[in-house]
Amino acid sequence: MLPKTGKKKKLKNRENSGLVFISPFFLVFAVFGLYPVIYTIYLSFYKWDGLAPSVFIGIKNFHRLLTDKVFFLSVWNTFRIWVCNFIPQMLLALVLSAIFTFNKLKGMKFFRAAYYLPNLITAASVGLLFNLLFDGDKSVVNYILTILKVPGAPFQFFNSGIFTTGLVSYIQCWMWFGYTTVIIMAGITAIDSSVYDAAMVDGASKMQTYIYITMPLIKPTLVYMMITSIIGGMQLFDVPATLTNGLGDPRKSILTTSMYLYNQGFKSHNYGYASAISVGLFVIIAILSIFSFRAMQNKGGTQDGN
Amino acid sequence: MKKALVLAAMAAAMVLPMSALAEEKTLEIWSSGEELGRFVEGFNEIYPDVKVNITVVPNADFLAKLTPTLANGQGAPDIFTGESDYVKYLVDSGFWEDLSADPYNVGEYTDDIWDYVTSVGSDASGAVRALSWQASPGSIMYRRDIAKEVLGTDAPEEVGAMLNSNEALLEVAAKMKENGIKMFASWQDILNMEFSNREQPWVVDDTLVIDDAMLEFMDMAKDIAENGYDLNVDPWAPEWSAAVESEDTFCYVLPSWGYQFVVKPAADKTVGQWAMCEGPVPYVKGGTWLGIYKDSENKDIAWDFLKYCCCDSEAQQAYAKEYGEYVSLKSADEVLAAGEGEEVLGGQNPFEFYNGQMEKKPSDLMTGYDGQINTVFLSATKDYATGILSKEEAIEQFKEDVATAYAELTVD
Repeated sequence: MLPKTGKKKKLKNRENSGLVFISPFFLVFAVFGLYPVIYTIYLSFYKWDGLAPSVFIGIKNFHRLLTDKVFFLSVWNTFRIWVCNFIPQMLLALVLSAIFTFNKLKGMKFFRAAYYLPNLITAASVGLLFNLLFDGDKSVVNYILTILKVPGAPFQFFNSGIFTTGLVSYIQCWMWFGYTTVIIMAGITAIDSSVYDAAMVDGASKMQTYIYITMPLIKPTLVYMMITSIIGGMQLFDVPATLTNGLGDPRKSILTTSMYLYNQGFKSHNYGYASAISVGLFVIIAILSIFSFRAMQNKGGTQDGN
Repeated sequence: MKKALVLAAMAAAMVLPMSALAEEKTLEIWSSGEELGRFVEGFNEIYPDVKVNITVVPNADFLAKLTPTLANGQGAPDIFTGESDYVKYLVDSGFWEDLSADPYNVGEYTDDIWDYVTSVGSDASGAVRALSWQASPGSIMYRRDIAKEVLGTDAPEEVGAMLNSNEALLEVAAKMKENGIKMFASWQDILNMEFSNREQPWVVDDTLVIDDAMLEFMDMAKDIAENGYDLNVDPWAPEWSAAVESEDTFCYVLPSWGYQFVVKPAADKTVGQWAMCEGPVPYVKGGTWLGIYKDSENKDIAWDFLKYCCCDSEAQQAYAKEYGEYVSLKSADEVLAAGEGEEVLGGQNPFEFYNGQMEKKPSDLMTGYDGQINTVFLSATKDYATGILSKEEAIEQFKEDVATAYAELTVD
């Protein structure tokens, strides 16, 4: 038997070793996560071209940010592209997950994998791929349209802002609906089957079961999807950056906030202002996340509470 | 005893490679292209003790990787390159060693270097900070077979005489159209040449200058787009590159790298059917400069390497002979001009042609702002050419974009 003090010491050691075991994460996070965030906030109060010594300029960058038309345009662009991609993507995923979970379909595993596939391609190559499909009089799409004798063909697709934003939304939707479907299906599988049995006994139709039982019970999954999607969506960069010339052509219609930030930092060498943009983007994402979290939580509150 | 032996052995093991390293110095170079590596073999024949380590960083990421490294000085290379779009920004930043001063005294060599190569590499005070092994004079590269058919001749001097002004270019374009031929691959290429038509660069005394030549170019672009004188694609699009082998595209307006990277590698059926002539104005566009990092610990070998690539006529002759690339030393280009012509160009010697262009001293007018300003200018011109914006609106849009990209510039 050990003396009392020794035991205490051992216990204390154990507590410390716990800290040691979790420290790698915090160390890595501090170096690669926290430090860059703090440094970005620090830089946003400076004027720095990347090479000359940085100069403290107070809130000038933020003053410019609040009066910068292009910044607000880029936020609106990003948000619009996200909404136009998120709503159809969610609807598609809900329908597909319903079909996959409630029917025993042949080849269901194949389809699930096939739908997930676009998500595995690097976003930048997807942007280039779609550029090749649509750019120029002899592009693949124009070639087909000309053969089909569509009036007006060949079209200058990337001259139309509406077409180009629509295309970005479509690409995002196409890339992500498979992922969303898989996550929602996981949510559905986790529901206790006795709830469905009870509904069946009560004589609920398949449609009613889905809307009144499945949907409320997968609300946490939907909240998760919405928040991760809004965070990812507001940071949209690679597809619109590679689809046209990187400036958001035509006429900045697909200039997203991240692209604007990148151009200010790495093309115009204005790292201070680029940092201010990224702080602005951070605040916007935080507000949107809180907003969407609250909205979903309030609606679901009564069901969860009971 | 045993312990002491082991220790001694360990010490020896540590010291031996160290002493070997002390003799062989390593030169760290960051380059935005692969081409610089072609000099290493020849360099090592003269300097066998120097290990040249070239890290190629793609041009799109080059500044993003370079600037933080220079700013904190950790792991910075001894030599780094600068492409024409941002070379002025690096030249003015002062991170490149002053090559005009001791111990470099680059002035001994500059007489033999084409003027614009030195002037682009010089800062506001006239000190040379960077040099290039390349020079990029421009031409109009056209198809001999089409020229013969439509213009009645394929001789470069005669064709050049028919293309000696913007109006003349458009006249010939109309003639081409009658024969079902597209004059240009893309109107955007012509901008490479029109830059040299300016009196002033984009930025003078921190103020944006829109030269009349640029305004004229906007109308020319509209003319070409409306009449369908080009393929209606952006440069580097697959269709643009494929036009080298097409039946119905007459010319590319590109500098020397355009022949190297676009026409020559793609020509197969059309070998011998290409030629170069002068357009409305002799021009230069592009290039890669190199300079020595100001806090490098290997300045002596860095200078040896830079001198070898940019100031050694024999090295450049060997390089130009092997790769066909036009180089920055007059003496090297003269030797190559006396050699045989190119098969692709139907026997024309590009060095001879380029020498003629360089002797006319094309203006360079580069600024550190060019990369972004050129892109937004093309974008605004495109909106005007395709009829979405009026000329005034397009110019307004261009000014706004410049003000957004560079808040420190005066735009009025």
